[in-house]
Amino acid sequence: MSQLILFNLFNGLIVGAFYALMALGLSLILNLSGVINFAHGGFLALGAYIAYTLMPYVGFWGALLIAPFLTAFLGIIIERLLIRRLYGRDPLYSLLLTFGLAYIFEDVSRYIWGAQSVPFIVPGFLTKPLSNSLFFLTGYRVFMVVLVAIAVAALFYILNRTRLGMRIRAGTMDLETVSTLGVNVRVLRNLNFGLGIFLAGLAGVLAAGLLGLQPTIGTSLIMPSFVAIIVGGLGSLPGTLLGGLLIGVASGLTTVFFPSATEAVMYVMMGLVLLLRPRGLLGEEGRL
Amino acid sequence: MSLLRVENATRAFGSLVAVNDVSLSVAPGKLQAVIGPNGAGKTTFFNLISGFFPPTSGKIYFDGKDVTGLAPHQRVQMGMARTFQITEIFPELTVRQNLRIPVEVAAGLRLRPWISRRMRDEIDARVVELMLQGNLEDKANRLVGELSHGDQRATEIMMALALKPRLLLLDEPTAGMGDQETYDITRLIRKLHREQSLAIVLIEHDMRVIFHLADRIMVLTEGRVLADGTPDEIAADERVQAAYLGESH
Amino acid sequence: MKGPGQRSTNALVVLILATMPFWMQYVGGYTELATQVLVMALAAMSLNFLLGFTGTLSFGHAAYFGLGGYGVAMIIKYIAPSTPLGILVGVAVGTIAAMVIGALIIKLRGVYFAMVTIAFGQVFFFIAFRWNSVTGGDDGLTNWKRQALDLGFTRVELLDHALTFYYFVLLIFLLAAACMALILRSPFGRTLLAIRENERKARFLGIPVEHHLWLSFVISCAFCSLAGTLYALLNNFIDPRALYWGQSGNFVIMAVLGGMRSFWGPLVGAAIFVVLQDFISSRTENWMSFVGLFFVLIVLFFPRGVLGMIRRRSSQ
Repeated sequence: MSQLILFNLFNGLIVGAFYALMALGLSLILNLSGVINFAHGGFLALGAYIAYTLMPYVGFWGALLIAPFLTAFLGIIIERLLIRRLYGRDPLYSLLLTFGLAYIFEDVSRYIWGAQSVPFIVPGFLTKPLSNSLFFLTGYRVFMVVLVAIAVAALFYILNRTRLGMRIRAGTMDLETVSTLGVNVRVLRNLNFGLGIFLAGLAGVLAAGLLGLQPTIGTSLIMPSFVAIIVGGLGSLPGTLLGGLLIGVASGLTTVFFPSATEAVMYVMMGLVLLLRPRGLLGEEGRL
Repeated sequence: MSLLRVENATRAFGSLVAVNDVSLSVAPGKLQAVIGPNGAGKTTFFNLISGFFPPTSGKIYFDGKDVTGLAPHQRVQMGMARTFQITEIFPELTVRQNLRIPVEVAAGLRLRPWISRRMRDEIDARVVELMLQGNLEDKANRLVGELSHGDQRATEIMMALALKPRLLLLDEPTAGMGDQETYDITRLIRKLHREQSLAIVLIEHDMRVIFHLADRIMVLTEGRVLADGTPDEIAADERVQAAYLGESH
Repeated sequence: MKGPGQRSTNALVVLILATMPFWMQYVGGYTELATQVLVMALAAMSLNFLLGFTGTLSFGHAAYFGLGGYGVAMIIKYIAPSTPLGILVGVAVGTIAAMVIGALIIKLRGVYFAMVTIAFGQVFFFIAFRWNSVTGGDDGLTNWKRQALDLGFTRVELLDHALTFYYFVLLIFLLAAACMALILRSPFGRTLLAIRENERKARFLGIPVEHHLWLSFVISCAFCSLAGTLYALLNNFIDPRALYWGQSGNFVIMAVLGGMRSFWGPLVGAAIFVVLQDFISSRTENWMSFVGLFFVLIVLFFPRGVLGMIRRRSSQ
């Protein structure tokens, strides 16, 4: 029993790490640009498919390195061509636009790579269990958690220590002041969007290695990411990280005791948080 | 007895104390002006009275009842109405519609999914009366967003008046207006004050307006009360002249 | 809302809808498709009660739509073979859910409100999806049929007469639309306009904004679950897709496409959307791309919607 709990706890942590990675990207874009990027799941799937396509040529490691950058580049182009036109308008419109993009991405993925799951092969040494008693603890799972941790650490380093990051954070708090200080807000939002999409692309490559790859891979991850943002606190990136891990672990544990409520539990958590702390666990005042 | 009584109100935003231990008492039917340089805390003080946010410490009484913790709409129900420094109206609705909403709220109809014809006629009559008072009758069916600044301000004041308040809070009603518009608004305020013996608290920059209208004047600087008295007393007060009148004239 | 042309517009709408089954075939349709237009229009109009007339974007209305559908299906399948009872229960279920969820979310605004409505919508999707024994899970609820109406003096057969069912739906649609129009033209409806135009001002005119938003949300969801009951009855079937967020998105695009600021706008949007979707999905496997492209094009080139454009042109 305790092994089962441990297994699901760890599973929950991994899933939570995905949610967090995805939600951090969404949060970055939402906080600076006021856009709910419904196509985030679509970008995730594209990242995974790009990696899948590259793998025969550059191997797993090369694909892992290149695919997120290509995805981010695609995000930057789409932001410039489409999403940029909608800043300052009713958020309804950017929501609908990215909603439409999500449809297109999913369908295009299906058209190019097929509706069936495609094999996404990770290096053999990563798939072996690390110990006999903890059979679920494969190298790939540990590797994923470590990589997500590195990515998150790098993100917070960028936000807190680099000029771009500090501008993003300042813009999140007061865009008008930042723009009067001579920062080009259009470029800032563009790069910020790319940064968010990079995280989606990375999450895509990692998720494909664990869950297999089919066109709907992104859609199944986007709702929990919304929940992670709401639970963690609107406007707070550490909150988003916390929210993602929390709901991942909570659904992992629920699987042990009440499997049919695996998905429902995160919504129950969301309801409780909204009831007790409408701003979310680490949400800032005035950001409702 | 005073209609409005503020006792030692303080409001801090982080380390900034915007309103610091301010007390004020306004008798029924009196016109109280609040003046002070920019950043003196006048609008914050107004927000405390009207319930936009609660004070950090201190109490606010209206009509003898403690209203410190009440929401804005509850204070409106008790007879308090306000206007904003930057005109707040419903720009995409007509003058008639703008006025109709507070008239219906004041008549206790806000939750009604339908009304009788007789009731509707009464509402219409009241709306027309308000438009006449505010010199807006010929613009009844224009969108408020398209009107001149002065007419928008007049609409906003009449909307507040539609609530049948006993206390009207006016935040810089002549801000950003030309001489003619300032004159019209001042005349409107004086008319309302005299004819309906309405108590008014007025924030204003224009000294002509203040000394023309006010029964009492309170001077705020850096969140504190510098002086409080009749216009003559304030005009004679050396501290006020040094701190405020001297600068602006 | 009001205006000299209002009464004649209403008459025109009723006339077009009353004759729709007879000319639908000439635009490539059939009676069931006409019924579907009405059902989707009711859902989009209920959403627009909130979006266009209260100024609040809900992206999770499919939840209440689907709850209505499951309500009617379960009543007929498990409890009592009565269409009216099923509709009543379906609406009640959707409305009660909206009351609870509405109370949790009315403090939120703008994008955050939209996001939370999306997320909450999914709860019911997962319940329907997982609770196999009762809801039929992914396969949906089958093996039940809409029942004849027993009016005492006569029985109205709904099942085998597509046309009779169309007029049954039309009757409910018109009653619901009349109800919404009445509410919007009432003092309560005007407080909603006030909140849409300037929430802060509304507050300082003595309107308890949260309470009115909650009421508006509940009313909107009640009508949406009514549409959901009709949807299930139309298909004699309901499955979790009716609850899915994709469906919510469709309602929003219908409202935007037709024109959010006009009462009948969502009807126009629903008609275009339903007919187009039927046309595309019967011709290509890649209908999702077309629907997605449709969304993108509307947002970029048609943000005011059809009626919004017409109105703008005529006022110039």
